Amino acid sequence: MTVVETILVYAVAPLAVFLLLALLTLVPGRRRRPRYKPGQPWDHEPVWYAPHEAGSGHDSAHADGHGGARALTAGHGGAHALTAAPQATGRPHGGARGTW
Amino acid sequence: MTGALEVTSHDTATRDTAPTRTDESVPDSLFSYRELLRLDEALTMSSRETGLRFTLYIGDLGPQTRARAEELFGRSGGDLAESVLLAVSPGQRVVEVVTGAAASRRLPDRACALAVLSMTNSFGSGDLVGGIVNGLRQLSDQAGHPRHLRPH
Repeated sequence: MTVVETILVYAVAPLAVFLLLALLTLVPGRRRRPRYKPGQPWDHEPVWYAPHEAGSGHDSAHADGHGGARALTAGHGGAHALTAAPQATGRPHGGARGTW
Repeated sequence: MTGALEVTSHDTATRDTAPTRTDESVPDSLFSYRELLRLDEALTMSSRETGLRFTLYIGDLGPQTRARAEELFGRSGGDLAESVLLAVSPGQRVVEVVTGAAASRRLPDRACALAVLSMTNSFGSGDLVGGIVNGLRQLSDQAGHPRHLRPH
């Protein structure tokens, strides 16, 4: 066994295996989106999801590429939603609240 | 797929035209498509099962969380008496459920509190979407399926 063969078998081969395993471990984790952890600040825009209306086809909504339910605008842009519902306010409200 | 086509630019867009599909930014980095699909399914199916209108708000609720949630509920559109708003504020670690007058007869406060309890359990372990989906399922199970929505 020459010196080159020895180096190949005892140094390069283990290193290659090590690098392959390291790659397999590290690469899939890189692309993961930041996950919510309790106690973290929440600096995303508010989102507001409404259900699909019963009349509209459920499948047609998926076809347009948007996975989520139709989003209402919650911020200042939601003025039209405000004026659209001047009727009964639905009072008295029930419900519950919770913290974690 | 379309990669070969994009090599040469056929960009005829002006400032007034809508962005093409490739120009659009990622629609929402908040949740993955899979999570959005789960939320969509949960919202739509629970609304269709019960005949109530469930909407889901995720965002800051300000210092007066209950007042803000009720204000949002008033703007949620549709038949407010038959609406239910689920407002989650992950930054403040608060979840509020607001039910309209008619909805609260089918969803008593005690049932809402139970659903909120199961949601806060999931939220506490960092599972926002799972908690919301389970909470919606619990609320819609409690509200039941009214007779006039059943097929004959």
